[in-house]
Amino acid sequence: MAEILRAFLRNRKAAVGLAIVIFYVVVALAAPLITAHDPNKRVARPHQPPSIETVMGSTRMGRDVYTQLVWGSRTSLAVGFLAGLIVTALGTLIGVTSGYFGGKVDEILNFATNIVLVIPQLPLLLVLAAFIGEAGPLVIAIIIGLTSWGWGARVTRAQTLSLRQREFIEASRALGEPAWRMILVELLPNLLSIISLNFIGSVIYTIITEATLEFLGLGDPLAVSWGTMLYNAQITAAITVGAWWEVLAPCAAIATIGIGLSLINFGIDEVSNPRVRTLRAAGAA
Amino acid sequence: MTFILLRLTFYLAAFLVAASINFALPRLMPGDPIDIMLSQAEGRISPEVRDRMAETFGFVDKPLYQEYLTYLASVLTWDLGISIKFYPLPVAEVLGRALPWTVFLAGTAALLAFILGSWLGINAAWRRGSRFDAFISPAALTLQSIPAVVVALILLFVFGVTLRWLPTGYAYAPALDPALDFTFVGSALYHAVMPLTTLILTSFGAYLITMRNNMVGQLGEDHVMMATAKGLGDRQVRYRYAARNALLPSITAFALTLGHVLGGSLVTEVVFNYPGLGNLLYLGVIARDYPLIQGQLLIMTLAILAANLIVDLIYVLLDPRLRRG
Repeated sequence: MAEILRAFLRNRKAAVGLAIVIFYVVVALAAPLITAHDPNKRVARPHQPPSIETVMGSTRMGRDVYTQLVWGSRTSLAVGFLAGLIVTALGTLIGVTSGYFGGKVDEILNFATNIVLVIPQLPLLLVLAAFIGEAGPLVIAIIIGLTSWGWGARVTRAQTLSLRQREFIEASRALGEPAWRMILVELLPNLLSIISLNFIGSVIYTIITEATLEFLGLGDPLAVSWGTMLYNAQITAAITVGAWWEVLAPCAAIATIGIGLSLINFGIDEVSNPRVRTLRAAGAA
Repeated sequence: MTFILLRLTFYLAAFLVAASINFALPRLMPGDPIDIMLSQAEGRISPEVRDRMAETFGFVDKPLYQEYLTYLASVLTWDLGISIKFYPLPVAEVLGRALPWTVFLAGTAALLAFILGSWLGINAAWRRGSRFDAFISPAALTLQSIPAVVVALILLFVFGVTLRWLPTGYAYAPALDPALDFTFVGSALYHAVMPLTTLILTSFGAYLITMRNNMVGQLGEDHVMMATAKGLGDRQVRYRYAARNALLPSITAFALTLGHVLGGSLVTEVVFNYPGLGNLLYLGVIARDYPLIQGQLLIMTLAILAANLIVDLIYVLLDPRLRRG
């Protein structure tokens, strides 16, 4: 385990990605310490460009972009990680059950997975959110979590199917190990890289999707998050009046956290699957 | 044939699931469902229209399963009710006007992104470990993790508002009438540059990574080594032996990511005010035009299913094993 972790950290992409994500987590946790006032308080004149007092400028409403960005990272990260957990838990549960037990169980679960995969995600989320009304961040996390497990389930199932053919699994089945022990002790450790890829991928997907839903006006406009920042910038025509800072700040935040997370995923992939490594990593191995 | 029939049954089931979601949602909300559906239309629609709408959506005084069958009957006859935002136009007609623009935008983008991503992926794998590979593969993955809304807003700001090189919105110059002549097509293409770029940038990465990884796997195979050993040219081994086989899983990935392209196209259309389905859905959501929103889910599901069917047919052409039986 420690060895895997060391190999992971020695991978340059993974290390950079992890640094970016940790940076945002620290910012989110330290929000009350590194900002001076409530994110929704009016502290400046409308659309002030970045200056000493407002380092990232102010919005149309005279709110400080920096303060909003810092507090917004709490919402975006929390929603991302919560939905990521739900997606991964559901995907792993369904994928492993389907792949391990096979037969009728597999047929039914696989059918359900395929259906979830072909129904377009964003339109479905829009329909759900529209009926729910102004969905708060928690509700958004839950509906994304409950509707996005298809991909994870499919990949986990495929990997479980291929693991089931391996000798060590056959051997422990011959020894008469119970199903729960086979799954928890023999299968799950070998699915670890797939599960973590799924988790990180889902966090990226959720952060993007939450921002998109809120940008489209389906979120709670009073919540402070990167998506509502974009929404407010859009409805106050920030781009057209040249208030680039109001748009650039949340865009840069969403983009960098996405890059950080995907670098981690790239690292996991390279450590667990030597065939896809690029030269630097391959040379080191 | 059996393969295609199985797929068709599956698509029918998937479509019924989408329709059932539509059927269930208003009924799960607190309050009278038909009141919720038509809440934004108060005073604007006559009692007769209201009654007709109620029937379309299955709000009849009968047991639940009959309500469901009534709703399915309207969906299958493509009676999606009347739009509230675009009253008195029927939803089906409003959707029909927007559909071609989205098919053009998302279709072109998906195709170009697939070609670009696969081609780059083939070459990244071929020169595995080269500087090109070490740069393009992480770059593609990185671009893929940036949302379409961010790319669209940045492009809009740089090329639309600041440099003024490209139009900031709509699908063609407002002075023109849709016609098949050079001026109109030229204007439509010119207006499509930024939305297309946004979609291609956010979606080619997935194809690149899939293709690269399949191709790396193929390069270790015996038949590829054989081709090299018998002295075939570089390009012939790369494209006719390795890439050809690596392409099959990529095409499955293509079908799976189509939904992603449609989602990306939704936001892109909103940012660039492009008159497609995505923008229409946005307008519908703002106006809480539930009949329109529900119709959107159905038509977008249909679009994805149709695209999947086309991919299935291509698969049958490419993989002879599926043609048997």
